[in-house]
Amino acid sequence: MKDIKNYIVILSVFLVLAISFSNLVMAETRIVKHAMGETEINGTPKRIVTLYQGATDTAVAMGIKPVGIVESWVEKPVYKYLRDDLENVKQVGLETQPNLEEINKLNPDLIIASKMRHEDIYNLLSQIAPTVMEENVFRYRETVKLMGEALNKQSKAQRILKNWDQRVNDFNKKIKKKIQDDWPIKVSVLNFRADHARIYYSGYAGRILNELGFERPDKHKKDIWGVKLTSKESIPEMNSEAFFIFMSDNEAVNNTYKEWTSHPLWKNLDAVKNDQVFEVDQVAWNMAGGIKSAHIMLDQLYDHFELDE
Amino acid sequence: MKHILRNKKDKFNILLILISLLFIVIILSLAIGQNFISVRTVFEAFFDYDQDSTRHLIIRTTRVSRTVIALIAGSGLAVAGALMQALTSNPLAAPGIFGLNSGAVFILVGFAAIFGTPSMSINIWLAFIGALLAGLLVYFIASIGKRGLSPLKMILAGAAVTAFFHSFTQGLLVINQESLESVLFWLSGSTAGRDLKMILPLLPFILFAVVLSLILAKDINILLIGEDMASGLGQKTLVIKILLGLSIVILAGSSVAAAGAISFIGLIVPHIGRFFVGNNYYWLIIYTFIIGALLLLLADLIARIIIMPQEIPIGVMTAFMGAPFFVYIVRRGFKVHD
Amino acid sequence: MIDKLKSVNKETLNLLGLIVLLLIIFILSLSFGSSFISPLDVFKHFFKLGQSQYNFTINTLRLPRTLMAFLVGAALSVSGLILQVNIKNPLASPDIIGITGGASAGAIIYLSFFSSRLGISGLPFAAILGAALISLLIYILAWQKGVSSIRLVLIGIGIAAAIDALVTMIIVFSPISTTVQSYVWLTGSIYGTNWDELFQFLPWIFIFIPLSFTFHKSLNLLSLGDKIAASLGLNIQINRLLLMIISVALAGSSVAYAGGISFIGLIAPHMARKITNRSYFHLIFISAITGGILLMGADLIARTVFLPLDLPAGIFVSGIGAPFFIYLLYKNRNNF
Repeated sequence: MKDIKNYIVILSVFLVLAISFSNLVMAETRIVKHAMGETEINGTPKRIVTLYQGATDTAVAMGIKPVGIVESWVEKPVYKYLRDDLENVKQVGLETQPNLEEINKLNPDLIIASKMRHEDIYNLLSQIAPTVMEENVFRYRETVKLMGEALNKQSKAQRILKNWDQRVNDFNKKIKKKIQDDWPIKVSVLNFRADHARIYYSGYAGRILNELGFERPDKHKKDIWGVKLTSKESIPEMNSEAFFIFMSDNEAVNNTYKEWTSHPLWKNLDAVKNDQVFEVDQVAWNMAGGIKSAHIMLDQLYDHFELDE
Repeated sequence: MKHILRNKKDKFNILLILISLLFIVIILSLAIGQNFISVRTVFEAFFDYDQDSTRHLIIRTTRVSRTVIALIAGSGLAVAGALMQALTSNPLAAPGIFGLNSGAVFILVGFAAIFGTPSMSINIWLAFIGALLAGLLVYFIASIGKRGLSPLKMILAGAAVTAFFHSFTQGLLVINQESLESVLFWLSGSTAGRDLKMILPLLPFILFAVVLSLILAKDINILLIGEDMASGLGQKTLVIKILLGLSIVILAGSSVAAAGAISFIGLIVPHIGRFFVGNNYYWLIIYTFIIGALLLLLADLIARIIIMPQEIPIGVMTAFMGAPFFVYIVRRGFKVHD
Repeated sequence: MIDKLKSVNKETLNLLGLIVLLLIIFILSLSFGSSFISPLDVFKHFFKLGQSQYNFTINTLRLPRTLMAFLVGAALSVSGLILQVNIKNPLASPDIIGITGGASAGAIIYLSFFSSRLGISGLPFAAILGAALISLLIYILAWQKGVSSIRLVLIGIGIAAAIDALVTMIIVFSPISTTVQSYVWLTGSIYGTNWDELFQFLPWIFIFIPLSFTFHKSLNLLSLGDKIAASLGLNIQINRLLLMIISVALAGSSVAYAGGISFIGLIAPHMARKITNRSYFHLIFISAITGGILLMGADLIARTVFLPLDLPAGIFVSGIGAPFFIYLLYKNRNNF
């Protein structure tokens, strides 16, 4: 009798251990849902490759140094605000056409890519390493969430988003206090290039501005990315109470900017009349698309409206 | 097919009508746009100028500059086309088809890739060089071979050179993706966004080229009879051809510099002109000049109204207008000689 | 008799040389890339003698891409050869008369408006559809109691210009996200080829290349001129039409899977003519191989010269091809 009891105890202990052990093992393999379906990821990836600007930015935000990144759009090959954190990181080519062999050489255990850009190489990427894809390139919140899941750092991701939300709320309160009845302000996001000008209706900057409570002029509330304007006669289209303008810094663009802003129609715009024209950093407002750059954008807004944090 | 105006008097009268039409369209071009301005205000802007009136300012700045550019590019390309058709004895010759456009664009994009986007004033000279380069290349390629410069060979050499420059341009734009977005509008032709001041340096060249071609008109007529006949009659055909080539490059190059790559005007307008006055190049050049300006102005007008506030690039507009006409010409089998 | 033997031997030598060149470039394509795999190791890999560490790089990345480059180059070259005979002009090619343009238009329209909803896999079909429609249009417009070669060429050039304008407009007004992608596509690139795409492309090759061979007699006759061919009993219109279809199918499907690569259809047939002067049966074969070598070489350069950037092969096709083309013209100036 005693033997059987012992036997049962040992068996149950063994069973408990086995079950908890298998749970542990099972928990090590996660299934992450993303824009291209589902991917199985083992444990906590250490060697990651990010194939779009927002992902690179978010990796740094989460405290991880990728082993491979794609080239930036300007300030090549790495945006200035990320250079310190990304020293000695390997380049794997262009965001639109990353070099598959280079990626493979790095022996990654996770690839973060974008469906919009990399849909057709999803199969090939998946053969190199587990790959997750965000729908777009400028959805900063979704990128944080996705990477949190994929990297097994869900709580870190949550903290990042919470931190962001806190700042957003703070900004909202302070600007309401400062502007009072005139809030919310209508703003336009403008971009000048060498041969045309653009109004951005939605997209990265637009989303952040929406979150912060800014409004857009009615004309800009359409569901497209924006418009390209070639004639200075379209200047009135830009009109709103405040302008945020970004552009590259070269002679041709500066000339165009000067031309457009010295046109009589420009002087008639509300934002110009109220001296609410702000030049902002194009990297943070348009080119980076991540959570860190979102913070930089927010910093600039705090500055412009002279709010303390 | 015979042309419809048979005597000098008729040719002169119709020319007057066309010039009046041109004036009307010029006024319309100054009046119509995103801000519809009344014709009366247009006149006021010039004769009773009010510095503070926004409308007057719009007219005198943006509208005037794009009207002038359309005039220059339209007439320049049209005359260049007429001259090309004479030079190559080919009814299908045109600056765009011979690669002058893509040569100009290539030099511009190449320059931008190495040195950064150039300012407008440099643009203009770059476009010139590019057009010249392309023209020489086509001439050279098409002349290779025993039978020399045959019309079909020129067209195909032109298409090959266009493709060549085109793919290099694309290649450069792919490597330097940011610059792509900056030159897209330029690539497809545009009358907007250019200051009149920048265009003015071109005028003396264009006038020179037009005057030169008028002087050469008689010689062109002789050349059209046939090269052997022409040299038999004592004409220095090589010199004439070189001068013609020079005029063509100046006119086409200036047009591309002023307004980007616009196709088909150089192809079609000479034929419309021929419909009126036949192949007497003295009249043809004048008619082509006026009709070219008229057509491009009209195209520009339509292009900026249809999808306001955006504009259809004018090169696209002329292609859509021109392609059906081109097909018509080919099917009809027009010859350069009557 | 001895002369005939001599010339046959010279040609056989040329052919052998060509095949050797093909094999060399093939091996080189598999050796070079972000990491160098020595040709010896490549050999071993194929005979399963070496380590399997190269499996991914060779089997998954380089092999399908190299094979695709070869097949696309071959298809474009044969398409160009047929066109040049059909149109009786040595400067003709699928891109110059608008077939490539039609495919590009189909692809760009798809990229800009449908791909986000339907996924990228529908792209090749859109391209082929575009090529077919435009070619049909060109053919109909060139029809006036039959299609003369000159009319076909000229109308093709005109339509190509119009399509070019259309494509430009679409790119200018497309959502920003696809602008750059469209441009890469237009330049022509075999980037990211996987086995699935290769298998999709194969049927086109297996059907239309052999089909070209069956028409070799027609090609021989057509190259003598319409009048002579007709007097020898050839039905010009039907043959012209069928050859057009083959040309369009080869070019359209190539563009569908490799983007708007231009020039191969123009140059490769000429290179082939330098190697053999015999009947079109041989010419088709040699053109195919020459075109394949050309594109393989261009792609090899494109993905190694600017590492880590992986550039579109189309750039280097023009780079290699155009000067060579001019050289060819010059060399052959007395035969033109």
